[in-house]
Amino acid sequence: MKNLTALACAAILTGMAAVATPAAAGTLDDILARGELRVAVQTQGPPFSFMDKNGQRTGSAIELTTLMAEEMGVKVVYLDFDWDGLLPALMSGKADMLAADMTPTLARATKVAFTKPFMYVGAVAFAKQGGDIASVEDCRKPGTTLAVLLGSTGEKLAPKVFPEAEIKSFKGGGTLILDAVASGQAKCGLNDNSAVKAQAAAYPEGTFTIFEEMLSKEPLAYAVRYDSMDLLTWGNLFIDTVTLDGRLDANLDYWVNSDAWKADH
Amino acid sequence: MVWFYLERIFGYWPVLLKGMGMTIGLSLLSLVIGVAIGFGFGIIRAGRNRWAARALGLYIDFFRATPFLVQVFIVFFILPQVGIELSAFAAGVVALSNMAACFIGEIVAAGLKAVPPGQSEAALASGMTRAQQMRLVVMPQAVRIITPSLVGQFVLLIKDSSVVSAIGLLDLTRSGWLIVQSVPNGLLVFGIVGVGYFIICYPLIHLSRRLERRGQAAFL
Amino acid sequence: MLGGLNTRVMLEYLPEIWQGFLATLFLSAASFVGAMVLGVLACALAIQPLRWLRAPAVVYVDAIRATPLLAQLYFLYFGLPRLGVVLPEMLIGIIALSLNSGAYMAEIIRSGILSIPRGQVEAGMSTGLSYLQRMRLIVLPQALRVTVSPLIGQAIVLIKDSSLLSLISVVELTRAGQRIAIDRFMPVEGLVATALGYLVLYYVLKSAAGAWQARNSLPGRG
Repeated sequence: MKNLTALACAAILTGMAAVATPAAAGTLDDILARGELRVAVQTQGPPFSFMDKNGQRTGSAIELTTLMAEEMGVKVVYLDFDWDGLLPALMSGKADMLAADMTPTLARATKVAFTKPFMYVGAVAFAKQGGDIASVEDCRKPGTTLAVLLGSTGEKLAPKVFPEAEIKSFKGGGTLILDAVASGQAKCGLNDNSAVKAQAAAYPEGTFTIFEEMLSKEPLAYAVRYDSMDLLTWGNLFIDTVTLDGRLDANLDYWVNSDAWKADH
Repeated sequence: MVWFYLERIFGYWPVLLKGMGMTIGLSLLSLVIGVAIGFGFGIIRAGRNRWAARALGLYIDFFRATPFLVQVFIVFFILPQVGIELSAFAAGVVALSNMAACFIGEIVAAGLKAVPPGQSEAALASGMTRAQQMRLVVMPQAVRIITPSLVGQFVLLIKDSSVVSAIGLLDLTRSGWLIVQSVPNGLLVFGIVGVGYFIICYPLIHLSRRLERRGQAAFL
Repeated sequence: MLGGLNTRVMLEYLPEIWQGFLATLFLSAASFVGAMVLGVLACALAIQPLRWLRAPAVVYVDAIRATPLLAQLYFLYFGLPRLGVVLPEMLIGIIALSLNSGAYMAEIIRSGILSIPRGQVEAGMSTGLSYLQRMRLIVLPQALRVTVSPLIGQAIVLIKDSSLLSLISVVELTRAGQRIAIDRFMPVEGLVATALGYLVLYYVLKSAAGAWQARNSLPGRG
């Protein structure tokens, strides 16, 4: 009986493996036929994808994908998932594309196809202002607690740059690691420069010291399924086009490289 | 300082309200369906048909043991493979009421088994049918025993509903996560989210207390 | 259908999964003990006759049951440091889980006690047993039998709830599965591995409870 139970349960579970690929008629054809581009996003915080004061979804990644749909001549539909739901959404065909601030790695690229990078970010360290951490060097001291975000570039980088620190990986949003540092649960934090800057701005002035030194350089890219090579090709051309005509830089200057967005959102 | 944050959090009231509406709608619907199916499950589990009880036991075991996220994914991402395409909300309701039915089923079965067999034998002796025994004698006593566990389960269900944000629904917990990105005072934001859940759950707990007191008065 | 599941990668992550499994086992066991202690204590306070002792127990049980674990966890993890108390994540996790489950356990045990016919208690009184003796010799042994099943249900909820500790950087079973999803982009493999781990815990718990029940069953009471 026990064995049978275990077997039955295992069978149901492996049914999950059936999150396979739908018909490969051409994803672009499907998008044009239904008139909407379905983008899976993760509302993980400014400046990439967040909810502004009016409860509107906005951010750098949102505006870029809206532009993408405009150029295709279709509507854009956002599917807002947790990290947990993003990949299954793409793989099951519920979404055509992932537009989260996701780093293409070679390991990840064995499962999904990444477009060209549309921008680069770097990890920076930060600490509570007025505490005993005055520089990146202090974060390197043995036993220093270092808050990173699960699955982020900071997490990957931490053991290399801070080999002696005690690393704590939080799951949730970037503000969680800021909270951890502000409340003293961790001495230092490590995350993408743009995210740290945008999120720290919501705290009272002088809560954090952000150490400007870029500790890494990581690309960000969109992801599609490997059966969507048409969409991948189109996406790459899109990135080339908006790079050339300046629309990409305009987006990044507004959202990422400056605080301009804060006045409007 | 606190006021400064509170003011900003309440600037997001439409999001909070929307999240609260989703949590209430999802839980209420799943609760009704879950209770209906759960009592059926319980009667089968405590019933005389050994094979039906065992087969159902397997099913219930699976859904009691696995993380709810896995179940939500099965409904939302796997069922389309066999031709059942559900919206995120429908998938949430199906997954949630199914899990509720499994937990409630086991609670009901335990309650039914806790009623001394003398009771149904007496009912049998007084000429009641099986359905009458269940409805008039056994079930009322079982319900009295299980009411607190049942309400505990309802409340857990309401809180489990937060997992559905993984498939893109904006519930109360999710609205907290969205707000905390712009108003970085997690303590305050999730304090308010907690109050939201309290407003939903407490009346239920209160109601169960009153029902329990009434049941006792009748019994003593 | 089976072909889609990469069991090789799942095996590659077996050490992490095993570590996570042990961590979840430890967290749940410690929290279960804590929750039982709190539950019995809160229940004892809630059913004794003094009103002013009853009130705190009722407030505890209701407040905990009406709010989500996430809010409680947040409160302990980010709130306590403001009062100058910084505790390790693991400890905070166990405290939060114990406090949370304790409230549910208190209600379950209370319902078990209330299901004991009053006549039995009165019989105990007339034979001269004290309150504690009545509880220990008559009420609790019977009440426990009725409550085993719902207590197991709560223990299962507790085990699964421990996955929330992943938020505050505690590494446990759910987190181990997330590793596969995040490093390799194989969410299905991660979830299946996690779910299998929880299934094992479930069956261990269930057979332990079954053995206990078989040893202590009374005629007519499950």
